This record gives sequence, structure tokens and C-alpha cells, in this order.
Amino acid sequence: MPDAAEEIVPVAARRPWDLSMLGPYFFILPAVAVMLAGLVYPVIQAFYLSFYDWKIGTDFDDAPYVGLRHFIRMIGDEDVGESIWVTLKFGFWTISIEMLLGVSLALLLEKPIRGASVFRTIFILPLMVSPVVVGLIWRYLFDARIGWINYYLGQIGIEPQVWLGDADLAFFAIVFTDIWQWTPFIFIIVIAGLQALPSEVLEASKIDGANWWQHILYVKLPMIRSILLIALLMRLIDVFRALEVMYILTGGGPGRATELLSLHIYNRAFDTQQLGYASAISVLLIVIVFFLSYGILKMGNPLKEKADI
Amino acid sequence: MSGVQLVDVTKFYGTVNVIPPLNLSFDEGEFVVIVGPSGCGKSTTLRMIAGLEPVTSGMIRIAGKDVTWARPKERDIAMVFQSYALYPHMDVAGNMSFALRLAGTSKEEVARRVRAAAEMLELTEYLERKPKDLSGGQRQRVAMGRAIVRDAYCFLFDEPLSNLDAKLRSTMRTELAILHKRLDRTMVYVTHDQIEAMTMADRIVIMEQGHVQQVGTPREVYNNPRNLFVAGFIGSPSMNFLDAELQDDELRVTGQGFDLPLPPRLHEAAQGHGARQVIVGLRPEHFAARHAGGGTEASFLAPVDLDVKVAEYIGSSQFLAADIGGRQVSAAIEVGPDSAPLTSGTYLFDTNRVYLFDKTTGDAIA
Amino acid sequence: MSYGLMKKTTATVAAILCATASFANPYEKFEGTTLVVSWPALAHFSAAEALVDEFTEETGIEVEIDALQYLKLRDRQILEMSKPEGEYDVVSWVVMWKGEYVSKGLLTPLSQFFTSGSLVDPQYDIDDVAGAYLQNGGVVGGKKGYMPGVSGALYGIPFGAETSILAYRKDIFEEQGIEVPTTYDELAAVMTKLHDAGIPALTSRGKTGHQVTAGWLLHLAPLGGKIFDDEWNPVVNSPEAVKAAEFMRHVAKTGPVGIETFGFGEAAAAFLQGDAAMHLDTLKIAAMSRNPSLSKIDGKVGYALHPVGTRCGSETGGFAMGIPANAPNREAAFLFIQYLTNKAGDQRMVELGGDPVRISTLQNNTEGFDDYPIVAEQLPCADPDWRPLIPEWNEINIDVLGQALTQVITTDDPIQPIMDKANEELRAIMEREGYYTWATYRAAQ
Repeated sequence: MPDAAEEIVPVAARRPWDLSMLGPYFFILPAVAVMLAGLVYPVIQAFYLSFYDWKIGTDFDDAPYVGLRHFIRMIGDEDVGESIWVTLKFGFWTISIEMLLGVSLALLLEKPIRGASVFRTIFILPLMVSPVVVGLIWRYLFDARIGWINYYLGQIGIEPQVWLGDADLAFFAIVFTDIWQWTPFIFIIVIAGLQALPSEVLEASKIDGANWWQHILYVKLPMIRSILLIALLMRLIDVFRALEVMYILTGGGPGRATELLSLHIYNRAFDTQQLGYASAISVLLIVIVFFLSYGILKMGNPLKEKADI
Repeated sequence: MSGVQLVDVTKFYGTVNVIPPLNLSFDEGEFVVIVGPSGCGKSTTLRMIAGLEPVTSGMIRIAGKDVTWARPKERDIAMVFQSYALYPHMDVAGNMSFALRLAGTSKEEVARRVRAAAEMLELTEYLERKPKDLSGGQRQRVAMGRAIVRDAYCFLFDEPLSNLDAKLRSTMRTELAILHKRLDRTMVYVTHDQIEAMTMADRIVIMEQGHVQQVGTPREVYNNPRNLFVAGFIGSPSMNFLDAELQDDELRVTGQGFDLPLPPRLHEAAQGHGARQVIVGLRPEHFAARHAGGGTEASFLAPVDLDVKVAEYIGSSQFLAADIGGRQVSAAIEVGPDSAPLTSGTYLFDTNRVYLFDKTTGDAIA
Repeated sequence: MSYGLMKKTTATVAAILCATASFANPYEKFEGTTLVVSWPALAHFSAAEALVDEFTEETGIEVEIDALQYLKLRDRQILEMSKPEGEYDVVSWVVMWKGEYVSKGLLTPLSQFFTSGSLVDPQYDIDDVAGAYLQNGGVVGGKKGYMPGVSGALYGIPFGAETSILAYRKDIFEEQGIEVPTTYDELAAVMTKLHDAGIPALTSRGKTGHQVTAGWLLHLAPLGGKIFDDEWNPVVNSPEAVKAAEFMRHVAKTGPVGIETFGFGEAAAAFLQGDAAMHLDTLKIAAMSRNPSLSKIDGKVGYALHPVGTRCGSETGGFAMGIPANAPNREAAFLFIQYLTNKAGDQRMVELGGDPVRISTLQNNTEGFDDYPIVAEQLPCADPDWRPLIPEWNEINIDVLGQALTQVITTDDPIQPIMDKANEELRAIMEREGYYTWATYRAAQ
């Protein structure tokens, strides 16, 4: 045959299309749909609302478009600045004390000593109480007129304090309540982390001559580092979400002494009924939380790290 | 008295007695392997020496000092664990130097010793890696390195090779033996693997259910096992045990399908033994083909009929699963790599290597 | 044919029939109708349920009550009344909301019913309803759009309305030899005297936000202050307003411990539990102090007029009832409102433990109700403009005044600068919302 050019059939660069390739997408579709509906949509909606001046109870169609005016107002708004400052202060005190207490208690109660399991059970009870109930419990405990705290202080001769009516005392009260409720959370995940540590490594450190303190500082804590980071991240996000307890305990008062950013947004949206402006502040909240989380994950992404033993 | 001594040491977990009174004495510089099946108490014994497990009663002495109630770090020991137990958050250098840093050793000294150990273990180029970036064998060596830099009086090993594959394990065995020679330290090594025991130990301690069955050099425990347990545990493949009867002249032992003359070393003991019913022990490697070695049949070789079920080719020898008089035995026959698969027929057994055991107590008749 | 159209046709047919036939009683033609009523879940209204049952029994008109927590009431009502076809026949609103409802065209003017001879009972006597209540809750118009006045029109009848009176502990006053104060100066002196005797004096709302503002507003009007002048200029830093703030600080210093955290409930509880000698707020405290499950002080309470500063002025508040523009059964709804608020109905409300709205009822029930004569005497002083009922009020009330007054009662900072700052913030809000457009325009002329 006179060089009939041999046709070279190229091997397909990739597998030819076929319906079954949609399989994986089909199976994650419900999860994606739920996430879009429950997570992405509200965020987009908040962003959208932040460009309108919508007062609660009026028709949204009547709400005027205000462009960036809410954001400009926000920059000069001392109240927003103050609630961010309160939130940061609150986060600093609660998280550092909770981490310190939770980790210390976990280290102390890790060993199966007599009564430890009973204590552990009692200790995690606050975690199971709904935040609204926590708010109510402590509101009555802190009540200046009928509260137990003032009653017992009175028994030892201390003047009754207006716990929730004085800026410093009210701030102390919300920090204290948060510590009461959330230290068990740190405790429980740290103790779970400690109990999962390989016993031989811990024994190796004893043989290497670490004393109690060095054992904790150089071996145990570094080994549960990713768990500590997760706990820190979750608490930090919680600080920016915390609302119910403060709403009931102090309502943000006196003044704005205990008005965390989330509560500030709530009050703006539902008390003074400026939904658009409140949405603009929540966009700010999302940005703050995003950067904080990003920062912590940068420190060492605990979600990426595999167990390395 | 130097070395390591356990004097009347017992261990109870609650009311369960896992270690009955135990007495052991290891010489300084000796490589002792404690071997036994899992649950025999060997690890507990090692952990009691390390101070990780408190003793219930008795006394432990290291380098002449009573350390029964001393904390691990006061015992001048180093330990290598089965899982290596490396600190995951420290790099290789950090792992190896941790003990020294805790002890407040000067920076230069730490660096020098880590470098020396790393060179010895060929870890120099890995010093900055984290354990998760190392292979199993490398991690194993880091664990050794961590013990070596300590320059402790006594090294303890808790099944350190059992997580490695077969090839690496045999390499590491050799390296360990070399290491011992070089360091010249007392080493106590726990394993369930009798090959490790036989290849590395100066002395072997064989334990079962907390009891020491026999202590001796590899040669002693192989050639003169004190009882059925030791005889069955040491040697691979395991010794065959067959019910047998001492003949009236007490010079022969017979059973179904075999009739073996007793070696001279057993004559006296057999005569002194009252009961006729005994157990005879035959190691697989002491069977031979009829014309093996090409020479004439020596007088100490006795014929045995084997009914071969399977012949496994493993190179220069073949491994037989066979019956003697209806009882299953195994035999390893050296016939050269070119031989045809072996079949049923008459084989020879080296009667010098016949062992006798008391049927009721299991003790060796010797 | 749509349901709505069918309904309209039926109504037309009924109207034609009415014109020709005469009925044995005014309720007959509405028999079997079901009215839907939206009102708050509050004590006065739950007491009224018995009266509603009597209405159904007497008239054959069924009533379905949708009682909601009062903070949720407004959103729900606006939603319902904005639809082309509403569910509600009767709505009950907090007096503050009426301006918004009317400006959005959501309510039916009541004049059209009062001109219908077959609907209105000649003996109803609307002039007997306390004027301040009627003006404050029912009339919308006037120069600020939420006030009575010649340009006002009637949209609702007060029901569950209130004003403020002074309640005090007779036993404590007697024991301490204290005269009941009639002026603010006397009141301040009494508070100091009680405090010096170790007795918490006047309880008050004081929690940050609208509560502390409500506490202050009670004193603002009698002391001669206002929030705005007639040109919508804020005047919360005027000498009168500052004096009211100074008085609030005095209240907090001499009152029961924890005023800074009190809402209405806590403030009332302090008085009812015997932890305060005086309560100067809504007249509802009288019914509460007679309730043994709330009160430890029944029988020990005396009532007096809200003390006078530069003028007499008490709060007006509570609720009024009216008919949505899109109500399906407006005439029957009018009959319902009329039944609940006529003389017999008002009397029944007293018997059921509610609060009357008629002067005659107050005058006829002096036996066992020490507070009624006082209320009757107080009502002419009730000030319908005691707080501005404008859409921006929430922000002013909570964000500006609620913060400033918290600073007043929780710190010892000088008061004038606090109120000056609040006044500025208030002006900025009004500026933002365009209230000064006319002033600017005129200035440019």
C-alpha cells in the first residue's frame, strides 16, 4: 500500500464522560445545599441588608438604599468601638482564666483518684445548662436585693453590692459566669486529649528525668497543643457569639459596660430597630472573627495535623 | 554487689498475684534477655526495674544501691520502648538530648554527645527531622540514641524490635549486639521472640506465668532445657514431643512407630527414674535423610519411619510435616538445594539428641 | 368567584336586608360571626376573658383571642393589617404605636360607627371615658401627629390604660411621722429622711435602656421638662430636665439596693416585698399589692397624687382597642369594643381585677379601692405628650437617653455635661431623619 498514512488514534486524554461521574457530586449535593441555605445565604443576606435602611416592622420595599452610609457611620460610631473593646476585654479575661483553670484541673484530675469521676460529672453540669437558664440562675444569684451572693457576703459582714448595676462589678459578673459555664468545656476536651496520650511517651519522660512540672510543660502540653488550639479557637468564636447570658444577666448594662458586640448588634436590630445598620455591624463581626480564626489556624492548623506518634 | 538484683520481688494487682517471689541477679555489663510468652510477667519485671511499676514487696538493687522505692530518674537507667515513645513535638536532636537538658548538662556537652550517638546510629542527617518524618527503623534508632546519650548504668529494652519488619529486625539485632559490645553496659532486654534471645543474650531468663523456668546461656538452654516448657519454647521450629515408654533394660525408649536407643548421657538418669511412661523430645533439625552426608550410617543414628504429608522446599533443606505412628511431628532435613521433594520412608534421627521428660512433672530426665 | 368577592357580596346583601328588616336586638344580625381579637398577654387582658365569654353568651358572637407577649404584638399586628385581607377584627395597641398605625392607614376611624344608630348604644356615653386616656390612646392627629387637638380623629377606645400615682407604705410613714408628699421638694426630703432612718425610700426602674428612661420621664413632666420643643429641638439639657436627672440620682442613692438593674417587674417587686417605702409609677401597683401571690403588703398601702413640681403631670400609657382597616367584621368588632368598655363592662372589669377607664366607674367604686378616688383626681393631670411618639423614639429612648441616664445613676459625674452630650446626640438623630428641613429652608429664605 502506498504509504496510506496510518491514522494514529490518540488515547483519550481523560476518561470519557459518563453519567456515573456525577455520582460523588450527587451525594454531596444535600450537604452543600444545607450549607448554602443555612450558612451562606444568611451571610449574604446580612451583607445585602447592610446597604439598606430598613426599620423593623416596615415593608422592606419601602426601605431606602443607602449605599455605604451605614459603614461610614460605623467607623465613627463610638458605641461600636466600645462594644468591640468590651468584647476583647471579655475574651481576654474569660479565655485566659478558662484555659488556665480548665487545663490545670484536667491535669490534676486526670489520674483515677477516689471521687474524681463524681467531681468530673458535677463539674461538667454547667455545660449542659442552656445559656438562657445560666443567665437566669446568675441573675438571681447576683441580684442586689434578693441574691444569695449578697446574702452570704452580708453574713460575713460585707455591704451588699449592686453586682449587675455597677460597670466594673457587672463586667466581673459576666466574666465570672462565663468562666463558670465554659471552664468545664476546656476541662473536658483537655482531659480527653490527655487520656489519649500514649502512655509510653509519658513514661519515657519520667525515665528521662522530667519532674512533675517539666513533665507537664515539656511533654504533656506540647503533645496536646492541637487540642489546646482547637479549644482556644472555639472559645474565641464563642466570645463573639455569646449573647444569651449577657442579654439576660445585664442586657449589656449598666451603660454599655457589658455590651458585647453580638449583643450590641441585637440591641441595634431589635431594640432600636435599625436592621440595616445592625446588619452592617454584623458584617464587621464576620470580618473580625474571620481574621482571628485565620490567625489561630496560622499558628498551626489543628484540623490539618495528623496524629503524629 | 554491682549489676542488677531482684530479691524476693512480688507484684499483686489487687488480689491477683502476677509475680510470685522472684529472684534474679544480673552481672555488670551483662546482656540479659528475658523471654517468655505474652502475659508471663516479663514486661512487668522490666517495668519494676525501671521504676514505672511499684513492687508489692521485695527489693531491687541497681549498681549496689537499693532503688526499690526510687523514682525512675534516680535509678541511672535508660529505656527503649516497644512503640519507641518518641516525643512527637521534638526533632531527633531534641528527643535525644531531652534527658541531658533536663539534667542541666552544658550545651557543648549535650551537642557533643548527641553528635556522637547520631554518628554511631547513622542519624546525623536526620537530626532536625520530626519523628513523623522518619521511617520505622529510623525511629527505632532514635529511641536507641535517646538511651545511648544518657550513658546510663543500665539499659532496659521492652520488645524494641517487634514493630519492625523481619529483615530490619535481624539487622537491628546485629546492631544491638555490636552496640552492647561498644558500650559495655548492663542491658536487660525483654522479648517474646526466642530468636532475639538466642542471638543477642549473654544469658537468657525464660519466664512463664511469673515463674522463672530457667536461666542460662543460649547454649545451656538449647542443649539442656530444664523442662518441657523451655524445650518447647527455645528452638525453631519447636521440639516434637511424643509419648513413650522406657524399656526394661532402660537403654531404649519406644513408642508408636519408633524405637530409639538412649544416648549414654541419659543411661544413669533413666535407670534412676521410676516411672516407665515418659515423654520423648526430638528436635526437627536432628532428623536426617537416610544417606545424608554420603557416609555410612553411624551407630548413633537410629532409623525412624516418617509418613510425609507435606514437604516444604526452603532451599538447602526441606521442611516436613509428617506422622510417626499416627502422631504429627515436624522435621527439617538438609538435602541440598537440588533434591527432589522428599517422600514417606525411613529417615534417621541423631540419638545423641534425644531428650526425656517426666510425664507428670514435665521436668527433664537427665 | 374569589372568597373575598363572595364575602363582599354577602355583606352587600346583608346591608340591603338591614335597610329593610328591623331586628329584635342589635346583635342579632351578627349571630354566629367569629371575631378574632389580638391583644397582649397581660393581667388586665386575661381578666377580661371572663367578660368576653359573657359577651359571646349574650350576643351569640364568637370570639377567638390571639394573646401574644406584648413585645411581639406590634410586628404581628402590622403584618396582619398590611395584608389585603386581614385576620384580625380587633387589635389592641400600646399607645405609642397609634401614630405609626394611622400614618400607614391601618386603622378604621371610629366616627363611622358612632354615626350608625343601629350600632352605637345611646347610653354608651363616650364623654365618661377619662379624657387623658381617650386622647392618649385613641385620638391621633394634632400638631405633632400623635396628639389630641382639633385636627385629631378617634381611632381607638382605651382599654387597659393607665396613669401614674404615688403608692406609699402607710405603716412606715406613720411610724416615722412622715407626711405624704405633695410636691417634688417634699418628696425629695421624705426620701432623704427615710434613707437616713435606714429605710429604702422610693423604688424605681433603672436598668440601662428604656427602663431607666421610663423612670426619668415620670419626673420630667412634673418638673416642667420636655424632650423636644415645638420645633423638634431637643431640650433634654434644660434646667428642668437636668433637675429630673438629679432627682433620679437621688432616687438611686436613697432607694432599694439594685435600682440600677431594675426593670418594671423588679422595681414593683421591691415595693411589694416590703423593700421600699414608695412606688411612683403606674396605677397597676394597686391591683398588684392586693394580689396575695405577689404582695406582702396588702392593707398597708396608701395612695396619693403624683407629686407636683412646677406643674402637675402624670404618665399616660397602656393600651387602646381599635379596628383594622382590613378587618373582616368591622361592625361586630365595634359592638365587641363597645360591650367591653361601656359602663357595665367597665364595672365588670373592676370586679374581675382589671383597671377601669371611666370616670363614673372610678367614682362608684371607692369602697375597697383606695386608689380609685386618687386615679380619678389624677387623670386630669395625665399628660398625653409625656414622651414623643415618633418612629425615632426607640433609638432616642434606648441608645441616647438610656445610656446617659445610666451614667447619671451609676456614677457621680456632673450631670449637666452628660445631658448636654445626650442633647447633641439627639439633635444628630433628628438631623439625620430630616426634622430640621423646614427650619433650614426658612433660615435660607
